[in-house]
Amino acid sequence: MKKLAMIPILLILSGCNLRVLDPKSQTASDQAFLIYLSFGIMMFVVLVVALLFITFTVKYRETEKNRHDIPKHEEGNRTLEIIWTVFPIILLIGLAVPTVMITYDVSYIGASSDDNALHVNVTGEQFRWTFEYENGEKTHKTLVLPKDREVIFHLTSKDVIHSFWVPKLAGKIDVLPGEETRLKVTPEETGTYQGKCAEYCGTLHADMRFETKVIKQAEFQTWLSKK
Amino acid sequence: MEINLFGKLILLPTDVIAAWVLMIITGPLVLYWLTKKRAWPVIWDYATSTHHRKIGTVYIIFSILFFFRAGVDALFIRLQLITPENQFWVFQGDKYNEIFTTHGTMMIFFVATPLLIGLMNVAVPLQIGANDLAFPYLNLVSVYLFVTGGMIFFAAFFFNAAPNAGWTAYAPLSTSTFTAGPNNNYYILGLQVSGLGTIFAAINMLVTILRLRAPGLKLTRMPLFPWASLITSFLILVAFPVLAIALLLLQFDRQFGSQFFMGELGHPVYWQHLFWIFGHPEVYILALPAFGIFSDIISAFSRKNVFGYTSMVAALALIGLLGLMVWAHHMFTVGLGPFANTFFAITTMMIAIPTGIKVFNWLFTMRKGVIRIQTPMLFALGFIPTFVMGGVTGVMLASAAADMQYHDTYFVVAHFHYVIIGSTVLGSFAGIYYWYPKITGKMLDDKLGKWHFWLFLIGFHLTFFPQHLAGLNGMPRRVYDYTWEDGVFVYNFISSIGAFMMGASMLIVLWNVYKTHRKKEENAGADPWDGRTLEWSVPSPSPEHPFEKMPVISRRDPLWWAKLEKKELPHTENHRASPVSVKTVQPMFLSVALTIMSFGFIYGWIWMQILGGAAALASFVIRAFNDERKPAYEREEMDNEQ
Amino acid sequence: MSSKTMSKDLYGDKRMGFFIYLFVEAIMFSTLFATYIIYTPPQMGLYPGELFKLHTVVLASVFLLSSSGTLMIAEKGLDRKNARMILTGLLITFTFGATFMYFEVDEFYKFISEGHTVAKNNFLASYFVLVGLHASHVLFGLGWMIVLLIQRKLLPFNLFAEKHRIFNYYWHFVDIIWVLIVIIVYTPYLF
Ligand code: HEA
Ligand code: HEA
Ligand code: CUA
Ligand SMILES: [Cu+2]
Repeated sequence: MKKLAMIPILLILSGCNLRVLDPKSQTASDQAFLIYLSFGIMMFVVLVVALLFITFTVKYRETEKNRHDIPKHEEGNRTLEIIWTVFPIILLIGLAVPTVMITYDVSYIGASSDDNALHVNVTGEQFRWTFEYENGEKTHKTLVLPKDREVIFHLTSKDVIHSFWVPKLAGKIDVLPGEETRLKVTPEETGTYQGKCAEYCGTLHADMRFETKVIKQAEFQTWLSKK
Repeated sequence: MEINLFGKLILLPTDVIAAWVLMIITGPLVLYWLTKKRAWPVIWDYATSTHHRKIGTVYIIFSILFFFRAGVDALFIRLQLITPENQFWVFQGDKYNEIFTTHGTMMIFFVATPLLIGLMNVAVPLQIGANDLAFPYLNLVSVYLFVTGGMIFFAAFFFNAAPNAGWTAYAPLSTSTFTAGPNNNYYILGLQVSGLGTIFAAINMLVTILRLRAPGLKLTRMPLFPWASLITSFLILVAFPVLAIALLLLQFDRQFGSQFFMGELGHPVYWQHLFWIFGHPEVYILALPAFGIFSDIISAFSRKNVFGYTSMVAALALIGLLGLMVWAHHMFTVGLGPFANTFFAITTMMIAIPTGIKVFNWLFTMRKGVIRIQTPMLFALGFIPTFVMGGVTGVMLASAAADMQYHDTYFVVAHFHYVIIGSTVLGSFAGIYYWYPKITGKMLDDKLGKWHFWLFLIGFHLTFFPQHLAGLNGMPRRVYDYTWEDGVFVYNFISSIGAFMMGASMLIVLWNVYKTHRKKEENAGADPWDGRTLEWSVPSPSPEHPFEKMPVISRRDPLWWAKLEKKELPHTENHRASPVSVKTVQPMFLSVALTIMSFGFIYGWIWMQILGGAAALASFVIRAFNDERKPAYEREEMDNEQ
Repeated sequence: MSSKTMSKDLYGDKRMGFFIYLFVEAIMFSTLFATYIIYTPPQMGLYPGELFKLHTVVLASVFLLSSSGTLMIAEKGLDRKNARMILTGLLITFTFGATFMYFEVDEFYKFISEGHTVAKNNFLASYFVLVGLHASHVLFGLGWMIVLLIQRKLLPFNLFAEKHRIFNYYWHFVDIIWVLIVIIVYTPYLF
């Protein structure tokens, strides 16, 4: 049981270092919010269960005294059963509503984004990425993005399924052959972030990594024109 | 290592060679030992008998065997991942991919599923007062199909062709364009053959539970393990046919040039739908029987009836039903759109409600009881917090937008090991300790059992708890390598240590079994745990046709009330006919035929396909002319004429 | 304990088991129907309508569906313990089933020899898997009938009747699947 109690401590200690919980964009912080929210609800559930569990196992253990007792027959208890049906429902509604809202938010839908957005074509193949900018420039190992400007990724694969993932910027989106998926993100802080392939794609799946550099808009323009 | 065989150069990795060497050394030793112990008649008996207890035992023995094999794979995984940029033996790149694929597939299909079916075989007929399963012959066929499928899959590694597309075999990676070679054919054929066995087992279980109950044992008086088996069987019947067809289509893609899941014309995502329409119910197929086992154990060891019986049954049914419509929660990142994603997110979350009902009912079964902590109960107690932790991370995963961060990371790996090991594996251990006297007549040592439990449980949490954090720190699953900068070294290191603790705990089990059978102990007796249900009213080990005089049941927990009132259970002589048992080698023949056919398909040798297929068909004909019920029907005909 | 109703009990078990098995088959076929619907009509290659021949479908259906009817003769025979009727029913059913198989094989043969193979496109692939699986069921049924014809003399009547009845369910089921195939696979593209 001590282990259960240690979970929150461990998590709080390490929470700020974990990439997924260290968002650098609105999308990622929405997702981080969901994670924290669901984690809070779940901690509550686990604590309730742990509390009952410990109380009952300690209190009703077999001892010398009760060894020969015959417990009373008990079919159930309507009130209790209603309580533990309704409470989870309420908790789940508390999680479901933000889930629905944020899921709609982070799912890239149609043309509703602004005209100033930067479009990047991302192609996955065994085992490298290609990032193609609007002016036709291509990079493989590093993805360079401007700060505070909306970026729209258009992703397809040349062979098997891959998945495009920069934990600090947004959740992953699969990269499928013969089909385009999209992802929308606005980086909000400069820095270098890890990017990974998050769908098992063969021998060197582990090595299908890239770096994401978020730089100031002006720097980005010069970088792009220099290429 | 390169080997020159008849002018052909064959590349063999050292792990395969080591395995062959190990097999060549231990194989004869084992055979010698078996001969010395005069074990062959017993083995032959178990291989040809249709008695449900013996078949259940075979299921359990082979599952445990496969558990060790897949567990050793897991240890290799953990050794490769113990430090960043590690190079353990050969397990990098494709070798690593083979090993996690084998690990996952074996654990799900050849460990967890058959382990539970084995326990159902042992316990369900006894719990409902049936003399055997409805179709004893079919039951033997089922177990042969399972063993055959498992062995085909098992063999892949020895021919250096272990499947390597993950246990989910996502297309197009699993098609021949990207994974040529026989590797994934082993996956297809192994699962196809054993899957058929699982379907037959489910049919058998369903008919047994619906038609063979003792007089008066209404469905509403049935213990919860048979109930769970009933619903599980139904789920199997819905899920496994879909898998069978999905595998068939994949086989067409791989071998006959169709493009269902690849190329310009196919839809890779269609494979994912088919797989998860099977795959999600499958995880409840693993969980529900374990729930049933725990319900019985918790009630027996708290000396109390199950709290909220009706809602327990309703919850089982609800979980099963909801489980059929949540499959796309494995596909939140595929781009199905926010509508589909939120729909599946919400249906998934709803499963927490019936599961929660069960959890609280278990807790309140213990309340005001007298909790006797022996090994089976200890496992049940370990199950509750462990499973709840796994369950709540499941609900976190169900939150679609958040899952885009968790998906395909170690957070998911942590989730499913918590739920599967928490429910299925702990449940099977509990069940084995609990019913061991019914299977063998002997009791496993309680003290060693407790050591096993604590080492396993602590090792388990050490292994999988840190994986949540590794996942949140961005560690994808199915990678053989990570860097120092990833900052996941400590988590992985702890995890690897935990895995070895789990391994050590399994050695204690071996020792326990050995110790139990070494000494000529007296029989454990019919009712060693002070049980409540019918299986404890028959001798241990359970004889063939134990209910020749059927008990007449008038309420739940009949044995308990009979003991309390110091009365015998009432019996009747007049009841329905029992299934007809037989000794037969026919399933063995079928098994050989299917092995030949499967290898024909795996390597594309048409003559072998035809040979094996013809032999398999022939076994139908042989069976048709050797029906074990013929003498019984003839006798009946004569009786009726008189 | 050999109660007088033993064969009844055991037959009841078997019938339920077999119905459940048919449920399994139904799910397999539904999955294939879904596959067919997803991939038809194809993005490239011939339109299904140009491939299917109305008269083949009609003839095949006539024979297979009426074979379900002729099997009723055998069923009546079982009820009345009339060996003649059983034999006649089985033989006619067998002939009709075999004729159906002739049309099926003929159709498959034509398609393949004209180059419309599994590899061409996914409409053809799902067509072959679906209709092929059905055809193999019919073939299996034909073999089963031969076995029944032989068993007729070898088994106690109750056991034979039981096996025969189980076969009847199978055959009717295969017929129903054919009706669905006609409705889903052929009709939308024939007219
Ligand atoms: C025994 C097997 C088992 C069980 C029982 C479960 C149970 C659940 N699983 Fe899990 N799951 C797997 C095995 C299992 N899972 C496997 C093998 C995978 C990965 C496959 C792969 O990709 O390889 C997976 C993956 C998986 C995913 C996909 C993750 C991804 O790949 O991105 C999701 C997402 O929704 C999910 C959700 C759930 C939920 C909501 C439950 C629920 O049923 C849990 C319900 C239980 C509880 C919630 C606890 C008790 C409840 C209470 C105490 C009441 C109060 C609770 C609340 C109010 C929350 N699971
Ligand atoms: C029933 C299901 C089940 C069970 C019980 C387990 C048990 C274990 N699993 Fe499993 N696992 C899966 C199902 C299961 N797993 C699935 C489905 C996957 C996904 C695969 C995929 O991605 O395709 C997976 C993936 C998976 C991964 C991720 C691999 C990756 O993504 O790269 C890891 C990593 O740590 C892991 C570890 C373990 C460990 C340490 C155990 C331990 O509990 C094992 C304990 C057992 C033993 C250690 C055996 C004891 C034996 C001995 C000690 C033998 C001694 C022998 C001699 C002396 C001869 N598993
Ligand atoms: Cu690309 Cu993994
Ligand atoms: Cu699932």
